[in-house]
Amino acid sequence: MAVIETKNLTYTYPGAAKPSISDVSIKVEKGEFVLITGPSGCGKTTLCRTFNGLIPQFYQGELSGEIEVTGLDAATHPTYEMAKSVGLVFQNPENQLFALSVEKDVAFGLENLGFDRQEMRKRVDWALNRTGIYDLRERSPHEMSGGQQQRVAIAAVLAMQPEIIVLDEPTSFLDPLSAEKIFEVIHDLNQKLGLTVVLVEHRLDLTAKYANHIIIMDQGKVRFDGETRKVLSNEETRLIGVGIPKSTLLYEMLNREGADLNGDTPLSSEELAKILLEAMR
Amino acid sequence: MSIFDGLKFRKVYSPIHNLDPRMKFIYVIAVFVAAILFGSIIPLLALFAIQIPFVLMARVQKQWVRSLRGALFLATFIFIVNIASNFFTQGFVLTAANWEDAAAMTLRFVVLVESFSVFFLTTSPDHLGLALEQSHVPYEFSFAFTTAVRFVPVLAEEAQTIMDAQKARGLELEKGNFMKRIRNYIPVLIPLIVSAIRRSLELAEAMESRAWGATKKRTNLYALKLHRGDYALLAIIIALLVLTVYAFFYVPIPTVRGLLGFP
Repeated sequence: MAVIETKNLTYTYPGAAKPSISDVSIKVEKGEFVLITGPSGCGKTTLCRTFNGLIPQFYQGELSGEIEVTGLDAATHPTYEMAKSVGLVFQNPENQLFALSVEKDVAFGLENLGFDRQEMRKRVDWALNRTGIYDLRERSPHEMSGGQQQRVAIAAVLAMQPEIIVLDEPTSFLDPLSAEKIFEVIHDLNQKLGLTVVLVEHRLDLTAKYANHIIIMDQGKVRFDGETRKVLSNEETRLIGVGIPKSTLLYEMLNREGADLNGDTPLSSEELAKILLEAMR
Repeated sequence: MSIFDGLKFRKVYSPIHNLDPRMKFIYVIAVFVAAILFGSIIPLLALFAIQIPFVLMARVQKQWVRSLRGALFLATFIFIVNIASNFFTQGFVLTAANWEDAAAMTLRFVVLVESFSVFFLTTSPDHLGLALEQSHVPYEFSFAFTTAVRFVPVLAEEAQTIMDAQKARGLELEKGNFMKRIRNYIPVLIPLIVSAIRRSLELAEAMESRAWGATKKRTNLYALKLHRGDYALLAIIIALLVLTVYAFFYVPIPTVRGLLGFP
């Protein structure tokens, strides 16, 4: 069952000369881990904003085509309704936390939806535990590192128990180690809760191994869309500015030089190590 | 950074910090009323003294002394104006009563500053926002308030970054006369404002994505409840008001000059 489905989606920001995304038709199945990538300015963020109706409701501008998210028309359904089923996490952790304590921030969405206090408490504690920040619940955001702040943002979205969580470059402000931790949290949510994850990311080195579906965009258009391994082993993806995982590249390089390695195209160094060890035996 | 440090609220736990902010505010108003009613030194001294235990219990002596020191300039000003106006209107003589009245006026001001500073030193912005919310102030206002407090350190840091960047390009902030110095800050202010606007847009986007405005009846994770301490404070407030009214009508308040035997 598709939870996100777009048909020929085209959008132009108010005052812009040409569309930021054009003719985008994608399908995201329930429980998938989808990776969206592509060079800067390719329309990834714009596409994310259409998933909960920020585009066109918040941004105005011109939208054509169809978009259906969890069975609702995201273009006309109010964003606060969409928020119940789609959670968005943004790039800059600092600008999406408004409260003076972590706990209060995580509760923000639930407060808006008018949950009663007991249920709210339960969900907040659950979301804090899931993201591993329960001990930080009374801290104020400015006392925390970027990685911790981003985990608060994820917890805040999680507390609303959406079906889909969309993360728009959540680690671009973080160091590699914190980024890796964030990805682990996201992977865990996808595996254990069956949450559909849409992750926009440049760091394929760290994320490709988690994704079972990848969409590569360029200049507002979808260029590649399909199973991660298949898409990343396609030579044509090298022509777009996409950070193909090093292990994938090394694997190909070795094969081109006649190493004749077995197995699927590796997406992480662990997978590559396994293939190499087998070949050396 | 130091100028902004005072705006950051540090979480402290003490019996006074845990009191209901609404009750504390009523207390401030009660002290305010009492201070306005009395115009002589002895009751004002008493008002000054009864607040000291609060300060000590909250362990905010240092900040409290600092805020009083901040009021020193205005207090001196009030004292001098009082003395001077008496001096010139009475034909260049001063009586003991004049000195005492001037001191009382000054003390009254100090008491007011003191009670407000106790309130603000012991109430977290978080608590204050909550109190506003639960006093049926529209949520937009209390949200604006807490968000403003939340972003003070963020903007302060950003201002510092912009200042450093502009200085690195040769901007001299400390050069020239007063007007020139103000003008020097324009290259810092403009980027700061632009980025604040951009930040606010992102913030609005994040709020929308978290169901801002979904229902009219917004709920709250916390509820302010009156505890034992709050009832104790209520008792103190009532006692203070009763005593004030009683003393105001029935007790002839002794003056310092009378006690010391001045005419």
